[in-house]
Amino acid sequence: MPRLPNTSPQTLSVLALLLESPRSWHYGYALSQVTGLKSGTLYPILLRLADQGWLETRWAEPEQPGRPPRHTYRLTGEGAKTARTKLAEAAPLRMTRRLASVPGSR
Amino acid sequence: MQMHGFLGRLADVLARQLLSWLHRRVEPGSREWLDALTAESECADDGWQRLRWALGGVPLVWTINQRRQMNEPTRGTMRALIVPGVANIAAIAGWYAVIIPATYVATHFLRCHLLFGNQPGGCQEHPFVFGAIAICGAVLGMIIALALRARFAAYWWAVFAVFNTVGSVWYLRSGIVDLPRYGATQSAMLMAATCGVVLAAIMRETPGTETDHGPSFLSRHRITAYLIAGTISFAMADSLIRMRDRHLVADNVNHYAVLGSAMFAAILAGLIGRHGSRLSAKGTIVRL
Repeated sequence: MPRLPNTSPQTLSVLALLLESPRSWHYGYALSQVTGLKSGTLYPILLRLADQGWLETRWAEPEQPGRPPRHTYRLTGEGAKTARTKLAEAAPLRMTRRLASVPGSR
Repeated sequence: MQMHGFLGRLADVLARQLLSWLHRRVEPGSREWLDALTAESECADDGWQRLRWALGGVPLVWTINQRRQMNEPTRGTMRALIVPGVANIAAIAGWYAVIIPATYVATHFLRCHLLFGNQPGGCQEHPFVFGAIAICGAVLGMIIALALRARFAAYWWAVFAVFNTVGSVWYLRSGIVDLPRYGATQSAMLMAATCGVVLAAIMRETPGTETDHGPSFLSRHRITAYLIAGTISFAMADSLIRMRDRHLVADNVNHYAVLGSAMFAAILAGLIGRHGSRLSAKGTIVRL
């Protein structure tokens, strides 16, 4: 049976982390560090979420001179609402395990 | 410690090269996410972390290109498949309709038959005529296919142009001593030519790239790519000939024929890709 969209453990862990502070902008590298996802897993997830309108993106000015602008992300209103539903629908055991592995957001 | 530092710097260089290479695999309009990943790579603490991070660009680029292909309008996609598809079939089938009668006409005028081997009255008694028909036929087929902008057909005829040319030289050098020997060498030559063309074409044309408009045919990277394609093809075909009969390997002519087929095929495929790219750059070709 095919899995419903955006219900993989990896996507749920990203959503859970973004939901911790839905109005804050998050960096890709920090998301990867906290969720433990490799960049090759994380970025396709972010891309798909942005495509579906769940994620808002913005280019932020670099914190250090000479560095390129950084891409930042946060959930849209609709994204946050749907993410809450998805996380609630996920199996309680899996949710417990996944959320336990996600430290507090920055 | 010095070694560790050197390896770290090497990993850093590799990471940057990989990211730069990946950028060339994505169309300029679709680079936002790869740019995002590249910018974040600056946060890595050392070269190895940066390399691990950069490796994630590979699945990302695949996802971006898949998404781009899926988002293309259906009508445009169908047209992009049908038009060159018809041109390719026409270029392959149409040329067979010319070359086969030409061969039969030649046998009629030369009063020989097409049985292959050492039988008297066979076409091997006129190697120059039949070799010329085979070579010119394939080369002309390739030119016509390129004129029709049917690149698949051009690759098809490139295989036979290589096979016929090297095969003719092989024959003029050695003659048909016995059929098993000739047959095995032919198989290896055909395999080398096919592999050479296919590998060089793959190296040349990754969908959704801008590399075709980049370095010239004789650039260092291109030549390396063709040498790699030719070498791999030679190795595969050489293995085939060794499996068939170890005694064949003793004859250097077979080796040269297979090596020549592989290298010639890779270079020809590179030239075809280059020609197609020029047309493509002018916006007059549908790639296939």
